[in-house]
Amino acid sequence: MASVIAADNPGAAVLLMGNEAVARGAIEAGIGVASAYPGSPTSEILPAIADVSGERDIYVEWSTNEKVALEVAAASSFAGIRSLAVMKQNGLNVALDFLVNLNMTGIGEGGMVVFVSDDPGAMTSGNEQDSRMAAKWFDNPLLEPENAHEAKEMVAWAFEFSESVNLPVIVRGVTRLCYTRGNVVLGDLPAGMRKKARFSDVWDMYNPTKSKFTATPSPVAHRLLHEKFEKAREILENAPFNRYSGPDNPELLIIATGVSAAYSAEAVDVLHLKERVGLLKMGALWPLPKKTILQWLSRTKNVLFVEEMDAFMEGSVMELWAGAGLHDGGIRFHGKCSGHFPPCNEQGADLVIKALTDILKIEHQLIDADYKREAAEYMRLVPNRPINMCAGCPHRATYWAIKNAIALDGRNGFVCGDIGCYAMGFGPPGFFQARTMHAMGSGTGVANGFGHLGRFGFDQPVIALSGDSTFYHAALPALVNAVYNRSNFTLLILDNGATAMTGFQPHPGTGVLATGEPAPVVDMEALCRATGAEVMVCDPFNLTETTQAILTMMKKNAGVRVIIMRHLCQLVKVKRKIAPRYSMRVEPEKCIGESCGCDRLCTRVFGCPGLMWDSRAGKAMIDEAICVGCGLCADVCPAGAIRKEEVH
Amino acid sequence: MSGTKRGSRNLLEDVLKAGLCTGCGACVTGCPYMAIHEGRIVVLDRCTIEDGDCWRHCPRTPTDVSGFSEKTQGVPFDFLEPGAIIAVEMVRSVDAAVREKGQDGGVVTALLAFALDEGMIDSVVCSKKDAGGAPHGFVARTARELLECAGSSYEAAFTLEAFRKIPAGNADRLAVVGVGCQMEALAKMKAAAPVNGGNPQNVQLTVGLFCGWALRSDIFRPLLEEICDTSRIVKFDIPHSPGTSFDVYTKDAGKISIPLDDIRPAINPACQYCWDMTAEFADISAGSAGSSFHGWNTVITRTPRGAGLMKRAVAAGIIEIQPLPESRMTKLKASALNRKKNALRNLARKSGTREDLGYISGLPAGLVDALLKD
Repeated sequence: MASVIAADNPGAAVLLMGNEAVARGAIEAGIGVASAYPGSPTSEILPAIADVSGERDIYVEWSTNEKVALEVAAASSFAGIRSLAVMKQNGLNVALDFLVNLNMTGIGEGGMVVFVSDDPGAMTSGNEQDSRMAAKWFDNPLLEPENAHEAKEMVAWAFEFSESVNLPVIVRGVTRLCYTRGNVVLGDLPAGMRKKARFSDVWDMYNPTKSKFTATPSPVAHRLLHEKFEKAREILENAPFNRYSGPDNPELLIIATGVSAAYSAEAVDVLHLKERVGLLKMGALWPLPKKTILQWLSRTKNVLFVEEMDAFMEGSVMELWAGAGLHDGGIRFHGKCSGHFPPCNEQGADLVIKALTDILKIEHQLIDADYKREAAEYMRLVPNRPINMCAGCPHRATYWAIKNAIALDGRNGFVCGDIGCYAMGFGPPGFFQARTMHAMGSGTGVANGFGHLGRFGFDQPVIALSGDSTFYHAALPALVNAVYNRSNFTLLILDNGATAMTGFQPHPGTGVLATGEPAPVVDMEALCRATGAEVMVCDPFNLTETTQAILTMMKKNAGVRVIIMRHLCQLVKVKRKIAPRYSMRVEPEKCIGESCGCDRLCTRVFGCPGLMWDSRAGKAMIDEAICVGCGLCADVCPAGAIRKEEVH
Repeated sequence: MSGTKRGSRNLLEDVLKAGLCTGCGACVTGCPYMAIHEGRIVVLDRCTIEDGDCWRHCPRTPTDVSGFSEKTQGVPFDFLEPGAIIAVEMVRSVDAAVREKGQDGGVVTALLAFALDEGMIDSVVCSKKDAGGAPHGFVARTARELLECAGSSYEAAFTLEAFRKIPAGNADRLAVVGVGCQMEALAKMKAAAPVNGGNPQNVQLTVGLFCGWALRSDIFRPLLEEICDTSRIVKFDIPHSPGTSFDVYTKDAGKISIPLDDIRPAINPACQYCWDMTAEFADISAGSAGSSFHGWNTVITRTPRGAGLMKRAVAAGIIEIQPLPESRMTKLKASALNRKKNALRNLARKSGTREDLGYISGLPAGLVDALLKD
């Protein structure tokens, strides 16, 4: 079935996820190149484009990291072909060093959109961040859509905008936009031949100093950037994404960006405030459309800012107001500055309602007592389901081996964790073994540093973790650094054959492209060996051997040792229809449960979700619905009560 | 018997971290949270059981020593004597090959092989050295397997961990070979059978080994590795004369003598708190401990069961016996008592008071003061 993303049916309304709408917008704009590194909440955009890359003649790639993704996209724009780069907020940080130079040179003739999604509430992230701040500090245009349809429209529009100011344009999403489905009215698909890609800024012997794409000399480029920026501001004053609704002279003006505009509209509706409160919904944020904003500021005495994450508009508008000398007009500003919104976590209509009732002194029962009571009753029915690794997950095996190896070694060894499913190792799924965890590749980087502290009496063995995709993304430079600078630690690369946490995207080690076509395998083991590190490969499901291998490597206490923990992600096994290896059962008469000699090792400590504790019988059970027959728990059970039988 | 109920956390704090662990191996039996690694007991994870076998069976958790004597030996406990005694003799294996493989007279190996042979027992819980020479708990089921276990390792052997290698429900009649702390642990295991793993009720015979101290593998092993290929070591010995050298016999280099003082830093500090040189809770105890002549063991026959085995073994021509000279007997008793005084003194020093002797309880009032008065 042809993907709806590329349906040639202008005017049709289709239900699309925000991420799919972004993809459709880029396709309508006629992009030739899309690149990304997987990262929730943006991971679905590239695959949506990859699905139709053949029919739409688009080059797509999963890049090794976001900086590379951005560079790949930029080259396309340099050659006159529109490009899209996609990343989550952390990815923007990785890509920034290129981006802060890219806007100095400009993007050439092919429009370029960088879709970045923040993750308010850090639902799928280690951090919360407001990526809009980057646009402010390095002077880059930024738009923020309210819903799926607007995301599609905005992305398509952003390419023209990008070309008219010769700058990359950032479109900022949030998790709630990316993962919410909404009606999207399809536009026209580009027709006709795609133009030929050509890099025109080649050496001209008669004018050799002329160069568009080298970010020097910077003072000149910086001045030009600001000139372009003023042009961009003029365009945004009339952009179709900033709209006002409400009375001409509102008692209170809400300035809301992106999805917060929807929350605000809902709040105004619920409180029946349409006659009193105005809503300035902003989608074209940066450069700040000053005229538009000042026009509405002059008509009110109260302003409430509603936006996800930081006080981006709040601060910028207050700056503008102060700078414009309007402060004798006496506006009261509300938002994060007044404590009506917290400086962190996701916002919502409830918070806007609370703010409005407070500022306008309105009585409103947000949630009635019955509802509260009922909700509490239903909450009791919801099983407590803490985060966990899947049944059959090789990371659980690896962490089990790590835990035991560190305990046996007895020198207070510890793990520098990293980003991926195995980041859950800071909690029960990884037996609390991950003791540091920051950014992609940082486990290896931080371990580098620990490895040099021996001169100050540091005598603890250090284990760095890296996922396979993380290894190519950012751990490789840290590994090279470690070998070069003679650091001392053991790196475990958890090679589960996919970028699992974000949805099993392929990576350079998998032999598969973003389109599903075969690719050369960038041999992780050979790469590691080439650095000069000592390398071995283990299957973590061989628990005893793996524990011994980790112990042996820890003990060496000099140089960089790498163990590649190779075992396919269980969910990838399911996708590939790899049948369970074992059928599992518990022999209840052998299970000693809570008694001495077990103390529920399998369900209390090991914690595979495929195991259940029958508290009435005092026995462990296999949860047939969840167990995938990996067999690991049989090796962990001290009583031999969990039995595994090969499935033929 | 002590009534304290504790779990692995207490064991970790009050025994392992307190430097009292002798490496008997009892706590590891049937416990998935405990492991032996390079001569140490390691707690792998948090167990929430507050009444655990690990604590109950540990010879260094509070122990009513006189209560045990009544139970295991059938006689009241006399702290001033080296345990219950039916006879003390010099004994050796008639088979020279066993003597060669064993320590001194090779009596332990000979007696146990005989007990296996005559059907008194089906298997022997003992310790066996691995390829690198480190001892581990082992279950020997034949005389040949037993012979592979002969000879002293001088290291804490964790012998009792071998109970976990015996499947639950296995009805084999067992003999256990071990030093004093292991006999204490075994007595505790018999008094309250492990919930999971092991079947100490099937123990039909206990053979105690005299023990001066045990070495810590983590210090002793590297020391050995410096002087030889540890996989080629045949035997260790501390010859009575001059009594100041630790001899390592290897396949390649013959005898390598190390000054005993060089070995002393490897002695497990926990051994200073041990009162039991002659394994008083065994059926038969054997050793040398300065009381024997070269090539002979000093053997204390303690229980009727032990005496029966000795008698049958003599009759079968397996062992030969000669009386222990009075002067040697005096020396043996003095060493055993001296050990007890030292243990009490060290325990009192550790706690800061004679009122608190750590794990030892059940001693008659006034006895401690009398023993420690000099």
